[in-house]
Amino acid sequence: MKESPEQVIDRSAKLVVSFFVASAGLWLLAAALLAYIVAAKLTDPFFLSGIEYLTYGKVKIAQANAFVYGWGGNSIFAATLWIIARLSQAEVRGRIFLLFAGTLWNLGITAGLLGILDGKMNAHELLEMPTEVWPVLFIGYSIIAFLALVIHRSREHSSTIAPQWFILSSLLWFPALFLIAWNGLELNPARGTLQTVLSMWFGQSLIWLWLTPMALGAAYYVIPAIMGIVIDKYYLAIFGFWCIAALAPWSVLNHLVGGPVPMWIPAVGTVMSIAMIFPIAVASTNFHATAFKDVGKVWNSLPLRFVIFGTLSYTLSSYIGVIFSLPAVAKLTQFSIINEFHFNQRVYGFFSMIIFGVVYHMLPKITGREIGTGSKTFHFWTSAAGVMMLLLAYLIGGLTHGVLAQQPSLDWASSVISSVQPYFLITKIAFVILGFSQLVFVINVWKVIFPNPLAYILDGSPERKEKSA
Amino acid sequence: MDNIFKFAAGIFTTLGFAWLAFVVGAKMQYGALSPEAEMLEDDGSRPVDAELYPKALSGLAQQGGEDYQALGCMTCHTQQVRLVEAGFDVERGWGKRPSVPRDYVMQKNVLLGNTRVGPDLANLGMREYSDEWLHRHLFEPQALVPDSLCPPSPFLYVVSEEEKDGSIEIPATDEEVSRFVRPSFRARGIVSYLQSLQQDYELPEMSFIEVENEVEELVVDKPADGNASSAGVPDWLARQISSGKEIYMKAAPGGGLCFSCHQPTGLGLPGQFPPLAGSDWVLGDKERLIKISINGLMGEIEVNGVKYNNVMAPPGIPPGSLTDSQIADVLTYIRNEWGNSASAVSASEVAVVRAATKDRAAMQMWTAAELSSSSQPAP
Repeated sequence: MKESPEQVIDRSAKLVVSFFVASAGLWLLAAALLAYIVAAKLTDPFFLSGIEYLTYGKVKIAQANAFVYGWGGNSIFAATLWIIARLSQAEVRGRIFLLFAGTLWNLGITAGLLGILDGKMNAHELLEMPTEVWPVLFIGYSIIAFLALVIHRSREHSSTIAPQWFILSSLLWFPALFLIAWNGLELNPARGTLQTVLSMWFGQSLIWLWLTPMALGAAYYVIPAIMGIVIDKYYLAIFGFWCIAALAPWSVLNHLVGGPVPMWIPAVGTVMSIAMIFPIAVASTNFHATAFKDVGKVWNSLPLRFVIFGTLSYTLSSYIGVIFSLPAVAKLTQFSIINEFHFNQRVYGFFSMIIFGVVYHMLPKITGREIGTGSKTFHFWTSAAGVMMLLLAYLIGGLTHGVLAQQPSLDWASSVISSVQPYFLITKIAFVILGFSQLVFVINVWKVIFPNPLAYILDGSPERKEKSA
Repeated sequence: MDNIFKFAAGIFTTLGFAWLAFVVGAKMQYGALSPEAEMLEDDGSRPVDAELYPKALSGLAQQGGEDYQALGCMTCHTQQVRLVEAGFDVERGWGKRPSVPRDYVMQKNVLLGNTRVGPDLANLGMREYSDEWLHRHLFEPQALVPDSLCPPSPFLYVVSEEEKDGSIEIPATDEEVSRFVRPSFRARGIVSYLQSLQQDYELPEMSFIEVENEVEELVVDKPADGNASSAGVPDWLARQISSGKEIYMKAAPGGGLCFSCHQPTGLGLPGQFPPLAGSDWVLGDKERLIKISINGLMGEIEVNGVKYNNVMAPPGIPPGSLTDSQIADVLTYIRNEWGNSASAVSASEVAVVRAATKDRAAMQMWTAAELSSSSQPAP
């Protein structure tokens, strides 16, 4: 039987996408374990306190990096390569280079996290991994990005659509941001609080310009692909895209309000975060107007349910973000654990949920094997419950923290922090639930990638067989 | 849009605008800041021989800063006092003035931080903690601040049962014996770094902020002139009472923080903190009051026939830091406020008690049983 063009593309993507998804899964588990340690340390300061490699600060930063670069990076590569290949109707080429670059990326992160635990961390937001590993990561990333662009350049149709804009810009923005930060913090280090301005700009823009466009692009691809209809009010998408491109890099520094930096920096951030309601509204309209045309389908397709959970979360969290950037509210919540709410909402409630949906949509097509519905459903509900529990705890806890911290007469440890402590206990429970949920996800994924691990190792992969034949 | 090169040019241009502002523009605006004198002459020139601030850190403190960063302390501690419009950092006693960009120009790694699970540390060195207190806090924060979430760092210390040169005593808790810890080089560096954190100078762009709070207004109400007050109180007593009131209400280093439990009304909180107004303890034996003010009190006590069971750390910020005359003033105040009327307490009386109990460890709190067996009933 002759293969359809889609099957040829999927076969060409199988090895590399499997590699990236499998690695992403392992990083997700590592991050889950670290997240539990962090939460446990906040409920009991003596937990593992004698081990210098596992101080609260180190583990917390290692967790964020494992999540963003390990899970985020690998899953971005997997989704980018497959979606770009499918949209270009071109095969994935240079597979051996992709595998090499992916190995570099993963080894770099491993070394980076061990470096953090060994006490060699930098103090720059999401650039904490030791200086030495960044050139390795950058080379790995560049190879993957280059080969993804090669696929895009060999596309059948010259016209492009929304998922391509978002995914390609995500692909290109990361190295640009990185080079700016690397120059300003390592090659020609800035003095004084200029460091903070730059490192915060990098760290926050990374979420807005790397993870966010990737997840939005994936949603623009997966929603119509599964529902079999076009995006509603698609003509708005281009406006939404350029709004994000133009506004997002300006909107991230409102957290510095009142701090030792020129006042225009946080002021611009505040104004621009309010302006962000336009692109948020556009994406939200596109996704949800489409989804509401056939709610039954959304409910019955698990990948789609994950994606719509993510887009709803994006809409909601972004609007909450706008509210929290208003000066009157920011005054209360600045420096409180509401920061954890924003971070987890974005990387977990939004980015990860969409990526889960993409992986469940993509893997059966690539491997030709289905994932059990029961375990997928279990994963969805535990993830949804865990995320909501986590975010509510951080939101309410953050408000409590912020409001009490504004009362100069209250003693810090015995009044302010003690009142926040119950919420730390809730986050600990939430991280346990999420840990189980992620374990189920990884088992689901590994089962379809390596259906028979022993035979796989003994006989070599099907790809290798084909080549040798 | 369809040509990848034009597309890339577009998205890099939008990013480039933000880069021009936040990186290039900010650097042009204040990248060349340097240490400055506290005050400039009227014509804007720097006075001759003026001291320049901020000062560079000592070598040990710089080492300590590296370790502070390596251990990840900045995940919970900020180092920035916000502008008065943006928050209550100055009121909380975290600094004499808001931080400005110039404060950070001598630091290699600027650790402003963005979350405060622990207190702000921009001015820790101004809060007059002793090195020993900081070492004990690093070794086990919960021994000094019971509700602290700060993780202990025992790996920075060598623990032994006997005292050695340079070691610090960790007082015995209930059943254990006292332990001694010797700070490692890293621990000494970190403490040196923490002590160096202080923005205790004014700069031309930012002077100290006078905190106007209720306390000062109340104190102003009290007669502060040399004559006897309208209430017929001699002026030395009026001065003691007004100084005592300030200590009672002050929630900053040098204060007593008494009001946070016993309340500004002196009525305490039913079931939790005993009242001071009309209290048989406050109006009774002075020696017992002085002992409690030096070492604190714990366990079950009975005040005016009502039982309380709580812990009173030695008053003062940091705990146990009140001087003899401060204790005398604050005790005189509580014995003569809210309708109370009892004899004043003098600094020399406090000194006598302090000398008699000097063998007692700093944080070893009294219990009601100890106090009733050791002190004579008031005549």
